[in-house]
Amino acid sequence: MIAVTRMLRLELRHNAMALMVPVVVVLFWFTTYRRVMAMPPLWNLRAADLQMYSVVDFVTPLTGAAAWMGSRESRRRLADAVLITPRARWARLLATWAATTIWALVAYVGCVAVVYGMTAGQVAGGGPLWWPAAVAAASLPAFTALGFAAGVLAPTRLTAPVTAIVAFFVLVLSTELIGHNGHSYWQIAPIVSVAWNTGSNPGVATFYPYLPDLSIAQVMFLAGVAVTLLGTLALVGESRAVRAAAGGVTAAGLAAAATAVLLVGTSAMDPHGMMRIPALHDAANDRPVQFTPVCSHAAIPVCLNPAYSAYLASTTAALEPVLNEIAGLPGAPARILQEAATYRVDSRDGEEVRPTEGNTNGEAVYHLLLPVQMLGPTLTTAQTASQVKWTDGPDIVANFIGAGPGASQAQNAVAAALTMVLGRVSADPNLRADLNGEAPGGPGPSELGGLIRGTAAQSAAERFAALPAQTRRAWLASHLAALRAGQITLSQLP
Amino acid sequence: MNTPAMTATGQATATRLATAARLLRLYAASRRTPSALAAIAGCAIALRVALLGHWDAYGALQLPLVIETAAATVVAATVASPFGEPERVCGRWLPFLRLAATVALTVTATSALVIAAATGGHLAGGTLDVIRNVAGITGLGLLCAATLGGGLSWTGPTAYLLPGVYALYTQWHGPALTTPWLWPARPPHDLGGALCAGLVFAAGLAVITMRGARDRPGDGE
Amino acid sequence: MNENSAMNVEITGLTRRFGSATAVAGVDLRAGPGVFGLLGPNGAGKTTLLRMMATAVSPTSGQLRLLGRDPAGYGPRREIRRRLGYLPQNPGYYPGFTVTEFVEYFALLKEVPAGTVRQAVATAIDRVGLADRRKHRLRTLSGGMLRRACIAQAIVNEPELVLFDEPTAGLDPQQRVTFRALLRELGQHATVVVSTHLVEDVGAACAEVALMDRGRIVFQGTPDELMACADGQAAGDTPLERGYTAALDRAQS
Repeated sequence: MIAVTRMLRLELRHNAMALMVPVVVVLFWFTTYRRVMAMPPLWNLRAADLQMYSVVDFVTPLTGAAAWMGSRESRRRLADAVLITPRARWARLLATWAATTIWALVAYVGCVAVVYGMTAGQVAGGGPLWWPAAVAAASLPAFTALGFAAGVLAPTRLTAPVTAIVAFFVLVLSTELIGHNGHSYWQIAPIVSVAWNTGSNPGVATFYPYLPDLSIAQVMFLAGVAVTLLGTLALVGESRAVRAAAGGVTAAGLAAAATAVLLVGTSAMDPHGMMRIPALHDAANDRPVQFTPVCSHAAIPVCLNPAYSAYLASTTAALEPVLNEIAGLPGAPARILQEAATYRVDSRDGEEVRPTEGNTNGEAVYHLLLPVQMLGPTLTTAQTASQVKWTDGPDIVANFIGAGPGASQAQNAVAAALTMVLGRVSADPNLRADLNGEAPGGPGPSELGGLIRGTAAQSAAERFAALPAQTRRAWLASHLAALRAGQITLSQLP
Repeated sequence: MNTPAMTATGQATATRLATAARLLRLYAASRRTPSALAAIAGCAIALRVALLGHWDAYGALQLPLVIETAAATVVAATVASPFGEPERVCGRWLPFLRLAATVALTVTATSALVIAAATGGHLAGGTLDVIRNVAGITGLGLLCAATLGGGLSWTGPTAYLLPGVYALYTQWHGPALTTPWLWPARPPHDLGGALCAGLVFAAGLAVITMRGARDRPGDGE
Repeated sequence: MNENSAMNVEITGLTRRFGSATAVAGVDLRAGPGVFGLLGPNGAGKTTLLRMMATAVSPTSGQLRLLGRDPAGYGPRREIRRRLGYLPQNPGYYPGFTVTEFVEYFALLKEVPAGTVRQAVATAIDRVGLADRRKHRLRTLSGGMLRRACIAQAIVNEPELVLFDEPTAGLDPQQRVTFRALLRELGQHATVVVSTHLVEDVGAACAEVALMDRGRIVFQGTPDELMACADGQAAGDTPLERGYTAALDRAQS
């Protein structure tokens, strides 16, 4: 044990990986850190992208450095001198590989600690997701084993660059080969952190726990690969017992890796947007996460999952005009509550996101799905607020009034008027000045309730919208029931 | 009418040319050029096979970049000298040999990739992209060979591959990285990217021509 | 001295082929404690013979027993290697290692008992005269000092069988004298086989010498007996050189 420790200490002191650490850290800063830290402060987003980008940053140079270390004895003409020593070859090589991998892991843990530490200071709710970090960490021993074995078995001057570039190529290729197949075996690649077709998704792992199924399979695969490669180094030049043990270890590693690949082939996206592998699935992860929502202090509070608390102020501001219009009136929602999204694969192998519960008329709670929970490009806070304003604002109004297909013209006109109150022609830089133009993220008043510009309904809506707020409110208070019952005509609108 | 003097001069010239050719051949053999040519051919075949597939927007540029980097790394790896000091002190032909061999291999690598792509595949960035990328990344490898040694010439190109691929990705998923020093992400006809790549290649070529790859003591072959 | 056999090296009909080339062709050799010299021209098979004795390569045919054991088996081979020291003709090294680290590394590989490693390393470095350079990195040492560091790694485990291939290459005359003294000291307790081109090294340190040519041993005896082989026409500046040349000529004729 002392001898092994001493050998490891010698190796750690003189390992080429130590020289590669600054290079890797710079690469990490340039590609991963800046990108991840520019994302909204959500653990699901940042952890998933950290896994994906850090694997690429670390694996390529470290595989090459490991190959360089593997070829060391041959390059330094020490092959004969170490060959005739009694210390088992596999023990000697394992010490070198272990030192190489320790340096890689130290660098990785340092980088992750910085990202997670800074994110922890920014995130308002939820805890760090450790599985993505664990998968990326598990990829390091696997790829250093790959490079190291290549260096030992083929100690040429091209081995290091070839293995480094091939490792990178395989990672990139795996993402191309996944395609739109949710059952693809290529999802075993450690670069895959989420359902590949949805990409980094801020809507997952907040209302429901992060599903570690795919991560477990990936760690199993990577461990199997590492064990297999290291085991092959002990298949030659050792005693019969050691070779038999090495054969067993190699076979076990292969079996683990193969099993993991097969398991990934059974994966499918679950309704919460995460990859579920039946054989690895823990039903406890299907239960929603218990949380206390963070709410705004308003007549109709907006309540969000703490993970999205960064959006509370802007969402509240976006909905405030319409909520102020209807607050306290009969049938107005008691609160606006964010809900979880439901994911499903559509008939064209694409993914779509739906609200888990529909918005029903007259319910005390309006269920809100933030745009960040939907699939699509990452939005800024302002863009998110604008989308909420023009999607959920009119929806809240429609539910309140009972507007929509089948409703009376008066209902649709009043709903349109309240939507106009949202500030269609305001100074909001996300809006176009054209009244008939479509507001970002939602239908325009000209489409609401089938209103067409220049019609009596449109004129009635504009008249109602032009009334003082108090007047509108007073009228609604006294005529709401009749309006909802369809007993009010356009001419009866003030 | 051939005079004896002219015949003698002609023979001397022929002898000199034959000697020069032999020197070039031996130099190339010492740098494992046949293996390098085989590796470059392998890169060209890999590119041709890769182009059989249909790749998405930035994948169509990233995949060739990986193979271009591999080819550039092969070229840079050939500058390492197996002889060390005994060769350095031999005479005045060494810089010319280094220059000729490096340029020839760079041209060969570029041509092989372009020809492989031209045999039916669609190379998203085109010929200019290949020339710029291979030349620039080869330059990085040459600079690494001069500073770190021939055995470590691969570190620069391999490390550069990552920001290069990432920069291509950001063209579709912003904010886009547009610095010309990340020339793989620049359009093929972009002058800035071409200048940067050319500058790096010229710098690497100059250093290698004058000084050769750094000799590392105790380095075996 | 080996309790089981007075002979630490017993070779019978040892042959080694590399493809169609025969490097060692049916060599018989016995060596006990003491210094045994191995002479011969380039390509005679000295290095190959030494590498077989070092268990670095296995023989194509013949019998080989080292320290009373047959190195063909894994267990006996491992035991031999614990008690073996070997300095190759072109020793390699890790330039970034210090002298101490380099010798320590081999002490650990040779399974020197953990508690004695530090002392064994210090002793080996002292014996080769590098005590004042023990913390210097190998890349900073001259060629001769590097070779002495490599000698130190060969003797760090107090071997019973020591094999030196061209050990004095790069050493200055004073260091060669010191090294011969080391050889004699080692030879008191171990079998030391020295392969060298330098005839005077053999004469100064070896009790017995063998001359190899084209894979075979063409002379085996004492240095005095080798000197006696010389006739008046043999080339050489010293009696031993003339004896060497004469014996070689006789073998090649």
